[in-house]
Amino acid sequence: MSDARHDESDPTDSAGGTDGLADRLRDDLAGLDGYRVALYATILTMTVFFLTPIESGLVTAFKTNPEGISSTLPFAPPPPQFFTLEKWQTAMAALGRGMVNSALYAVPATILSALLGSFAAYGLTQADWRARYKAPVLTMLVAGIFIPYQAVLVPLSQFWGAMPLQELLTPLWVLGVPEAYTGLVELTITHVAYGIPICMVLFRSYYRNVSEEMIEAARLDGATFRRVYRRIVFPISTPMFAVVLIYQFTQIWNDLLFALILVSTESSPAAPVVLILAGLGESMEGQDFALRMAGAFIAALPTLIVYIMFGEEFAEGVAT
Amino acid sequence: MRDILSSVRQRLRRVARATRTSGDAGHGGEDGTEANGDDPALDDGAVVTDGGTTAGSDGFVDRLNDRFGDDFTESAPFWLPPFLLVGLFVYGAIAWNFVISLTDYQGFIGPDYSDLDFEMYVRAINDSAVIDATVNTFLLVVAFTAVALGFGLLLAILIDRNIRFENTFRTIYLLPMSLSFVVTAQFWLWMYNYNNGVVNIVLGTVGIGPISWIGNSSIVLWAVVFALVWQFSGYTMVVYLAGLRAIPTEHYEAARVDGASTLKMYWRVILPQLKGSTISAAIVLMVFALKAFDFLYSLVSGYRPPNGADILATKMVREAYSTNNWAYASAIAIILFLMALSIIGPYLYYEYKQGNL
Amino acid sequence: MARLELDDVRKVFTDDDGSDIVAVDDVTVDIEDGDFLVLVGPSGCGKSTTLRMVAGLETVTDGDIRLGGRSIVGQKPQDRDIAMVFQSYALYPHMTTRENMSFGLEESTDMADAEIDERVENAADLLDIPELLDRKPSELSGGQQQRVALGRAIVREPEVFLMDEPLSNLDAKLRSQMRTELQRIQEDLGTTTVYVTHDQTEAMTMGDRIAILDGGELQQVGTPLECYHRPANHFVAGFIGEPAMNFFDATVEGDRLVTDRFEYPLTADMREAVEGADGVTLGVRPEDIEVTADGPASDDDEFDTVVDVVEPMGNENAVYLGFEADSRDTFVATVGGMRRIDAGESVVARFPSDAVHLFDAASGDALHNRSLEDAADTEPRI
Repeated sequence: MSDARHDESDPTDSAGGTDGLADRLRDDLAGLDGYRVALYATILTMTVFFLTPIESGLVTAFKTNPEGISSTLPFAPPPPQFFTLEKWQTAMAALGRGMVNSALYAVPATILSALLGSFAAYGLTQADWRARYKAPVLTMLVAGIFIPYQAVLVPLSQFWGAMPLQELLTPLWVLGVPEAYTGLVELTITHVAYGIPICMVLFRSYYRNVSEEMIEAARLDGATFRRVYRRIVFPISTPMFAVVLIYQFTQIWNDLLFALILVSTESSPAAPVVLILAGLGESMEGQDFALRMAGAFIAALPTLIVYIMFGEEFAEGVAT
Repeated sequence: MRDILSSVRQRLRRVARATRTSGDAGHGGEDGTEANGDDPALDDGAVVTDGGTTAGSDGFVDRLNDRFGDDFTESAPFWLPPFLLVGLFVYGAIAWNFVISLTDYQGFIGPDYSDLDFEMYVRAINDSAVIDATVNTFLLVVAFTAVALGFGLLLAILIDRNIRFENTFRTIYLLPMSLSFVVTAQFWLWMYNYNNGVVNIVLGTVGIGPISWIGNSSIVLWAVVFALVWQFSGYTMVVYLAGLRAIPTEHYEAARVDGASTLKMYWRVILPQLKGSTISAAIVLMVFALKAFDFLYSLVSGYRPPNGADILATKMVREAYSTNNWAYASAIAIILFLMALSIIGPYLYYEYKQGNL
Repeated sequence: MARLELDDVRKVFTDDDGSDIVAVDDVTVDIEDGDFLVLVGPSGCGKSTTLRMVAGLETVTDGDIRLGGRSIVGQKPQDRDIAMVFQSYALYPHMTTRENMSFGLEESTDMADAEIDERVENAADLLDIPELLDRKPSELSGGQQQRVALGRAIVREPEVFLMDEPLSNLDAKLRSQMRTELQRIQEDLGTTTVYVTHDQTEAMTMGDRIAILDGGELQQVGTPLECYHRPANHFVAGFIGEPAMNFFDATVEGDRLVTDRFEYPLTADMREAVEGADGVTLGVRPEDIEVTADGPASDDDEFDTVVDVVEPMGNENAVYLGFEADSRDTFVATVGGMRRIDAGESVVARFPSDAVHLFDAASGDALHNRSLEDAADTEPRI
């Protein structure tokens, strides 16, 4: 230890003299350079690997089909004679209503599941009740994250089939909303229920680090359990709400399975954007990849925007 | 100084007295103790009011709290509604699913709960398509998890080497994770395109191919694994990066001083400390793999995935929603659930032992 | 203001494997109205648990806690009319100083905003922090946060202040400054205060009375000087005072105490006190040992020693003495800071018989304490 420090901090004293020192320095720099070059080369290769599918999709979306697609390299930008915006217009026309539908259930489901997840996490971390009874409640909530949804699909269909939701929502139909929108209400509630576990876990990891003394101080200050949440815990969890909302929004927006089961057809007026996208370009003559790519980018746009603006929060949500 | 202080004190007292006259009866009683500490009448009065309110209305609540802990009833409005919702939609649904799997429910006439047996499970065990799907599920989960872990670790170590634009690279590597399976399936369908896809064109420059990635039933599963690795190794990277950043720099320095090479240092000092990250990342990856349904559905825009890529998740949905074999689909779902349980059960137990639950 | 009584208070934690741990064992303390009581002891002695039981943050397993004559056991913390200052200050990070201080009044009373404001401002004046009222905790130094935490307790005008090591996160200089200020404020408000610390210096300088706990059991309650000069047992004698009292294990043989190093003559009082005791521990405080340079020892209570180590502290020197050169077991004496004394020097140490304490070796109970004719009026040197 002392030798190493000596070499670094006091080079003039070293036995090799100035010539030896210069040689060594040069060697070090050369070694460093080679290493750094290899490092950055690897990192750039990885970057190319991660970006190629996206880049290739993006340039393809601007090409004519089939001439432009078959006569250019898939990752090359479209030459002027094959350039077109038509695919974007077609995709937008097909997906526009899906975008609105997706937002109609993704936004409320995100907010509700985050809020309920925060409630559950608070009631299970800062509340003082017996661990013997608390642990099973907690375990059941945590395990809910890992359930393959296939295991609940058939009962879910049965349940929503049996619920008189359509009759309950009659006022909406009277107002001219298509009855198919019942599916969106079902989707909202379903996503809230299956989103609570992950939201609870994210909030719980945050609440466990909240100072216990601070909560005790608030209780001594006369605040009830509910008031402590309202005035202390909720305000200080804004950073975590950002993380959870962003993560949960991308999850709900991106999910296909529940949309497929509960709304079922892409021709339904209530079809979410992922459902329409999954069938896009297939029904036309052959596979129209340019249209598919344009559609993919339009469907991904909201989550891409959220990701690019709040990448840090997304990474945090993912890592916890 | 003393004088100033005592005048402050008098002011404080005055405020207190003003409060007492304006405050309501309950608080008046408490404050009264302060001013007339020796007046037993006032003290007793306060006891009666306090005792009366607590003992009268909350007897049942008190008993609940005695049994379950001090904050049980007060915290119940917070955790109970979400817990009931999850209990109903997750555990209630799984139980119901199990019951349906014991019926002969198919077609459009509702299930008959009077005749329950394990017939559907017998059928599943003897169904070669289910066996194939189980093998494929297993291969997909193991291969995807292992490769994504290794690749993600490599990315994390690269990013952790004090590079410039670290945030930009990290953002790029994690980007696919923010996309829907439906979207990435479109991208990879195009990447794997026989005539014009990037993969075949790149391989063509070194004289390989063209290969039919999606059409060849013996390689389509690996093509899917590759695409999923692309989508999720950024996730593994983030988890490992958090693990690496939690290791104190002293450990790197100590290993250096002990004369360990970079490779040795990672192998013997750093990797063992990433055990926790590995376990939690592996669990999440396995769950993602079990949910690969969305990806496979989108590849073909239908319930029937390419030959050789059928997994239990797709088989189950197809049985239920394409051919309306509800009971049979439920039985397959239970098999899938048990597979998932065999992974998460030990994991949850491990977390419990670590004191994280 | 009110009197706080702890009556046979007991706290038993049940471990995961079902075994019981007694954290607080039948503690009885009576704290007079307006008194400043310091609960002191080594870490894990149960002092914080005791405080938290008074606060209502821990349940009481057995016994009673009375405030102003009525039992508060079973009451919720917020109904107890107490305020607590925490070691970490526990300020609400998203609120300004003003909001932090008014929070308790808003939650526990129906007081009008203007009155709350007035109280907060008065307390801020008292603590000399009016200019900090609109800042958030993250913009405050440790000492300022400490004052806000104190202010939050003061505005409540509670019956009792509970303080859990409130100064331990401050640096040494600020700590002694806050110590004085805290005492002044407490005297001025006249609020009954229970103060927990592990630091015996804090206990000695701040408390009207101190209660010493060890292993969950109350060892002694008394004024600082009582505990210093008339320790109830071996533990208290060793815990209070810095450097700590010297102890020597001995047996009684006739009118002498015999240790493996020396023999010490017993006075008539002492003989009476040690009657029936098998083993005795002799205790003498470092500052009571008289160190003289001119040897050899000529009296029964004088011993020839060799200076092992000298620790100069400016105002005094702590001198470690052994009965022979390079001895492993040494004892410590303090001498004036101006006196020159060197390691290796041979000196004579005298244990004056009026400064000697005797403890029962088995039970640790004090059998005989030093005489207090002169010592009663003098401040202890700590």
